[in-house]
Amino acid sequence: MHPISIAMITDFFHPNVGGVENHVYMLSANLIRKGHKVIVITHSHQPDRVGVRWLVPSLKVYYIPFVPIASSATLPQFMTFLPYLRTILIREHIHLIHAHASLSALGHEGILHSHLLGVRTVFTDHSLFGFDDAASILTNKLMAGNLKNVDAVICVSHTGRENTVLRGELFERYDDDPDVVSVRRSVYVIPNALVPEQFQPSPPEPSEIITIVFLSRFAYRKGIDLLVAAVPRICAEFPNVRFLVGGDGPKLIELLQMREKYLLQDRIELLGSVRHADVRSVLIQGTIYMNTSLTESFGIAILEAACAGLYVVSTRVGGVPEILPKDMISFANPDEDDVCRAGREAIKIVSEGRHDPILAHERIKTFYDWDQVAERTEAVYDAVLKSPQMELWERMQRTMQLGLFAGPIYTIILVVECLFFLFLEWWMPREDMDFVQEHWNQDRFAELARKASKKVE
Amino acid sequence: MSKEWEKVLWKRQDHPDNYIAPGSFLSSLRRNANFRPYTYWPLVCLSCAITQHLATIFIFVSVFVQLKEDYLDPHILVWISVGCFLTGYLCWELLDRTGAGHEHRHANRVKAVKSSILIFLALMSLSPVLRTLTAATSSDSIWALSATLFGVNALLADYSAMSFGGQVNERLTSVLSLNAAISASVVLASRLANDLAVFALILFSVQAFALFPRLRRRLGSCPSAIQLTFTVFLSGVSVMVTMSLSRAVTWIYTAVQLGVTFLAPAVLVWAQKFKNEIRGPWDVAVPKVN
Repeated sequence: MHPISIAMITDFFHPNVGGVENHVYMLSANLIRKGHKVIVITHSHQPDRVGVRWLVPSLKVYYIPFVPIASSATLPQFMTFLPYLRTILIREHIHLIHAHASLSALGHEGILHSHLLGVRTVFTDHSLFGFDDAASILTNKLMAGNLKNVDAVICVSHTGRENTVLRGELFERYDDDPDVVSVRRSVYVIPNALVPEQFQPSPPEPSEIITIVFLSRFAYRKGIDLLVAAVPRICAEFPNVRFLVGGDGPKLIELLQMREKYLLQDRIELLGSVRHADVRSVLIQGTIYMNTSLTESFGIAILEAACAGLYVVSTRVGGVPEILPKDMISFANPDEDDVCRAGREAIKIVSEGRHDPILAHERIKTFYDWDQVAERTEAVYDAVLKSPQMELWERMQRTMQLGLFAGPIYTIILVVECLFFLFLEWWMPREDMDFVQEHWNQDRFAELARKASKKVE
Repeated sequence: MSKEWEKVLWKRQDHPDNYIAPGSFLSSLRRNANFRPYTYWPLVCLSCAITQHLATIFIFVSVFVQLKEDYLDPHILVWISVGCFLTGYLCWELLDRTGAGHEHRHANRVKAVKSSILIFLALMSLSPVLRTLTAATSSDSIWALSATLFGVNALLADYSAMSFGGQVNERLTSVLSLNAAISASVVLASRLANDLAVFALILFSVQAFALFPRLRRRLGSCPSAIQLTFTVFLSGVSVMVTMSLSRAVTWIYTAVQLGVTFLAPAVLVWAQKFKNEIRGPWDVAVPKVN
């Protein structure tokens, strides 16, 4: 595929840390390595992260001066992003935008506006949502409205794809069989990946003691109730097991109470919150990794642990059953007895030496690789760029299918947005804009750096 | 495309990334898994609680109008209130017999007597203040305010039934509902002419909005025959007292009563066919802890 210019748009990006943030960064870096030009557009961060910044390796980041309302997401406002987006996309000669995360209002707005400039759109959904609470109903409708006109959708797991297809109403009638409603063909599954080199196993000395690691935020969704119920039982059954628990959060107090109640202070070590850079050093102290999440769209933490050579015990939720072959993980239903059973199974496997950490690491290396993810994403971009673009009239017709109330509302937004765009074309003509002539040049940078260091000498 | 497609991510498969294996997509989707359809008559029985509450509000409003127009002597109202209290308390005791232990009940009884004397005295001493509370406000505002407050009261009231001996767990909304009703009666009472009338009305409102809902919730778990008789009795009384004041209001009120009792359950039963509850592996699992 010949090089193109891509803009990643999301509310969740560095300097915040998290799954989506890391995914966007790694994907961008690997696309740059393949010769594409990639920029990131996100909102500004307090106190002074605003404007244009560069990140290694030559990733340009635009921090738009928007204020996030809750957990780093901005308010969905449909129009205010357009002046910024138009200028950036024109200046940077962007061919395609790639929006991330369904709670990112910036990403949705990017999808809404890009067609005005003939820029193609791709959307990646990172999380799972239910259908039965008010927040889900509202965000799902918002997403359905935006995804009506997106060119391609990428999900991180097969379960995630089923969820996204239902939430975003991604069904279509195709010409070859107009009576059948089928899933839109532009919905892809491309998993996350990890950098295996960052999780080099270093198995602890063989000893009687088996250490079980648990690393997570202590929140209800992470299944801390199950952990609190299962740990004392496992400890009572196996005197040679100890727990290493890292994390922080609202449920910390329950863990502390459990530890106190069963007098397990010497068996359960609480580490407090662990920075991502220190995760490996915690993981390699153990031989079993335990995950009790109640919902998980991909479970990157499980993968990291497996990559560091740990045997995994996990609840069978969301996309977790898809990420590892059955001989590297023991599954449990989300109930106390079954978590204990799976824990017992794992302890047996590990103590009999049936799990080889080095081999596990080597296997994971062949499973997940950012280069491969970038390649598969490229294939999606290629398919999108080759497909015909929708006209405004077709967009309006598709938007009207949304429903009796939502349809007209979204169509009005679409039309107002077009008028706003025309106004901007008149007010800030393209001819007056400064275009980006040159991108980052690694050779030139190296040369300048050399000169500068000579001068210092 | 030689190899079979598998629902896994770790294996690089021969199929393209947008491939959807026939039959596997959404195979674990469950529709209306925990769905128990409602039937008509049990719903009608459940709606009795709402009917009773509306009847109470209308009885209260008519009593207020009668007091204001001097059709009703405040002395009689005080005696009616005391009579209602004693009857209600007797019912409560009868229902409570099966519940808590003897010691506990005795303590409760002492507490009830103490607090009823306290309320009686407090209301008596406060009634001159309450009478002139809103003297500077026009009556129109008072009608609008009290109508809104009664609306809030009816919307937020707790209509659920309570079993015998069950713990009284007050929710925030039911507390708000009680507050709205008492505020409405206070502002209405401030329109009355003399202290005794104010005292009588507030006393009656305490019976109707603070004590009666608790008794009603207890009655909710009685056999439905008792409930139905009680509902018909209350509705009848409310229609009768309203009739003596205004015919038009009575017609509207009767229509609302019938609508709430018979039409609304029918609409709910009909609307059930649109129910489409989706469950799947993406839902947050419910942890089972012994």
